[in-house]
Amino acid sequence: MESTQALRADLFDPASLAALGRIEIVARWVVDGFMAGLHRSPRKGFSVEFADYRPYQAGDDLRYIDWKIAARSDRWVVRQYEEETNLRATIVLDVSRSMAWTGSPERLTKLQYAERLSAALALLLLRQRDAIGLIRFDDRIRSAVPPRARHGQWRRVIAALEEPGEGRASSAPQALEQAARLISRRGLIVLISDLLMDTTDVERAMRTLRAMGHDVTVLHILDPAERDLPAAGEALFVDPESELAVPASVADVRAAYQNTVVEVIDEWRSVLGAAGVSYEVVSTDAPFGVPLRRAFAVRQQLP
Amino acid sequence: MSFLAPLYLALGAAVAVPLLIHLMRRRIGARIDFPAARYLLRAEKEHSRTLKIRNLLLMFLRVLTILAIAFAAARPLAEWVGAGHAPTALAIVVDNSLSSSVVVNGHPLLAEFKSMVRDVLSSATSADRMWIVTIDGNVRGGSVALLRDEIERMEAISGAGDPGLALSRAAAVVRASGLGARQIALVTDGQRTEWQNVPPLADAQIVLYVPNGPVAVNRAVTLAEARPSRWTPRGEIAARFQSTDSTTYRITLNGRTFARGTAAPNEEVTVHASPPERGWLAGTVELEPDELAADNSRPFAVWIGPAPGVTVSPGAGQFLKDAIDVLKSSSRVVDGHDIAVVSADELTTLPALIVAPNDPVHLGAANRALERMGIPWRFGLRRSGEASARGPELDGVTSTARYELAAQTGAVADTLASVGQEAWIVAGGHYVLAGSPISPDATNLPVRASFVPWLGGVLTERLVGEPGQVLASEPGKHLPRPRWADGIETADGQRTPIGDALDVPDRTGTYFLTLNARRVGALVVAPPSGESVLDRYSARDLAQRLRVNRVLVAPDAGTWASLSFRAAARRSLIEPALIVALLLLVAETLVIRRRAALRPAA
Repeated sequence: MESTQALRADLFDPASLAALGRIEIVARWVVDGFMAGLHRSPRKGFSVEFADYRPYQAGDDLRYIDWKIAARSDRWVVRQYEEETNLRATIVLDVSRSMAWTGSPERLTKLQYAERLSAALALLLLRQRDAIGLIRFDDRIRSAVPPRARHGQWRRVIAALEEPGEGRASSAPQALEQAARLISRRGLIVLISDLLMDTTDVERAMRTLRAMGHDVTVLHILDPAERDLPAAGEALFVDPESELAVPASVADVRAAYQNTVVEVIDEWRSVLGAAGVSYEVVSTDAPFGVPLRRAFAVRQQLP
Repeated sequence: MSFLAPLYLALGAAVAVPLLIHLMRRRIGARIDFPAARYLLRAEKEHSRTLKIRNLLLMFLRVLTILAIAFAAARPLAEWVGAGHAPTALAIVVDNSLSSSVVVNGHPLLAEFKSMVRDVLSSATSADRMWIVTIDGNVRGGSVALLRDEIERMEAISGAGDPGLALSRAAAVVRASGLGARQIALVTDGQRTEWQNVPPLADAQIVLYVPNGPVAVNRAVTLAEARPSRWTPRGEIAARFQSTDSTTYRITLNGRTFARGTAAPNEEVTVHASPPERGWLAGTVELEPDELAADNSRPFAVWIGPAPGVTVSPGAGQFLKDAIDVLKSSSRVVDGHDIAVVSADELTTLPALIVAPNDPVHLGAANRALERMGIPWRFGLRRSGEASARGPELDGVTSTARYELAAQTGAVADTLASVGQEAWIVAGGHYVLAGSPISPDATNLPVRASFVPWLGGVLTERLVGEPGQVLASEPGKHLPRPRWADGIETADGQRTPIGDALDVPDRTGTYFLTLNARRVGALVVAPPSGESVLDRYSARDLAQRLRVNRVLVAPDAGTWASLSFRAAARRSLIEPALIVALLLLVAETLVIRRRAALRPAA
């Protein structure tokens, strides 16, 4: 049992695992390990199956013309497929400057962790025949990959993840609205962010998404140092996003700070819970399997 | 409260460090990127009151810790609450000088001092170390019982003592005790003449008591002297008295009153006498007793004998012959063969006044005569030129021609006069030897008015009887051993050999000096006249004269006794201060750790 777990990449230390390869490789290892650890699902598998033909209409994608029928009957018909995926998922990834921070050089930054988690989650969903999309945002939308389930989608997601980002402020409400527009049907939205933003704006956006029928999961990325404060003695703590500078003696305020972080997490849990949004705190020193399992559990609960 | 090292209080300025840290804490430290700064800001806002209180508490604890350490470094001393005292090294200096025997209110002042000391001894514990130091510097230590006996036996000495020596020895014994609480208790009459020069004692702490009552009016004999010290047989007694008005006096000699009179204040009285007694005799000049009886009598000594017979040889010169004729006419000397006055080349007998020969041709014969008579001097090179002579009763005397007096092996003599660096007139056991002829060609001595008195003194004091003299001293002093004496005879006839030095007895009186059991001189022991002046310093004035670390002035005898253990009551505060500092550090640690205890379980 122990040897099995030891070979599962989803249970590796994230920083050590990330050092072994690029995002897509790490994501594959994680998903492979994760899938190996899953029990067989009672649900049947998903596939794209042929449904019907219809006459070609101007504007239709030429890829879907059945050329055999056109050759035999000189009629242009278009193949129609029954979309059997029951989920269209969009990962909304916060790439603001605050995400590019780690409390220790031995750990991944929050963004690095989130990118690898996003890649693994996308691959996992694609293997489940779900459509997966990606939206990266900071103070504006940096990149958007519409949800698709077809082959090559994961490559597009990986390519998008490798685009430069790290803006200044986070603007989750706008990104969530964008995601909602990209998802025409009811689906799953996974927000991966450090949530260093106003609760009210995020809550309002979440309620909107929920009203549109989306299932929303928020993965709150926290570096361990953000929970405990770095051991720095007397220091000036500066938020790289807002330039907010707070002088403090770590020894003096550590306890109060830890209380405050607990309160903030409780607030998010309360606010998002009231809006029907799943909320999970993810620490960057936790193996990828932990948040992956939580996010996948949400997907499994969907009809 | 006092501090032994007050400069260390400056360490208290270090409180600026925690104060500055507290005030500048928001401006120091490194800049750290921290995305969750908003949580930190919120934490500080929500807990600012708690943080401020805790920071203020920490600041005060640190400030108090530094102050406590600086306080301890300054070595504070303060009185502790509570009865009793810590083990104390206490030296009680009792002024038992002659002036302490003055009677005040029907009792000697020393009796009051002794009573005060007994009170102090009754407050002592077995852990205390005690000494009694008398004003002459004698130190007695031991148990309280022994010291009680000592104080009962204590009597006033006959002199002023040595207050500086007494205090120095008291400071030394308490310093050497090894005890932390060291104290000197001084009880004195504060006599001005006694406390003129006191050496500084930087580390001494003294509790002082000086009586503040009126000073007794005192009469005293301040001078009693036989002039000359050898009467042949006539002489005179000089006396002076300290008194505010005329006073009657009595002069005794050999226990016999031979003169009475009345003297005006500070008048010098001279009484001529030609008593029938012979030999070395003791006498006194006395007043009616008053409050200070010890100075109402003053001793003197004199040798009385018949006028010596003198023979003058022709070679001695006309001036000597004429001068001796003058002395014969006043009956100070007579014709006879007791003393020869001769030129050296004519010397055949002793005692003799020997002068250098007028003719240098006789110089060899003169030296042979000196050798023959066992006189360890020889005439040497002739010296010419006028030079001043120095010696008693020889003011203005010059020498124009003289012979060098060369001392032979074993020569021991008194130099009565010298010229330049060389002896001119020397005196031995039975001779007086002059290096010049007594003529105007060689010296102006024979034409000076002082010549005849000087010659009379030489004949009647130097060359008559035994070669002794009268020595005067104060009680308890030490004198060089006189060559002409080997013992000292007390008033009761007891004779004591003289050692390397002559230890002057502690009691006033006349003591005869003896050689081979024969009286050859006298030692007159009398208190210094200053002891009779009873004017005293006030306690505060005397405290200022005592150059010591600290003086506590006791206003009365009871307070003096209670203050004698003040040093023990004033204990060091170093240990309490360090304990307070330690407790403050512990408190600071607890405050800091309490913060850690508040960490959330999450």
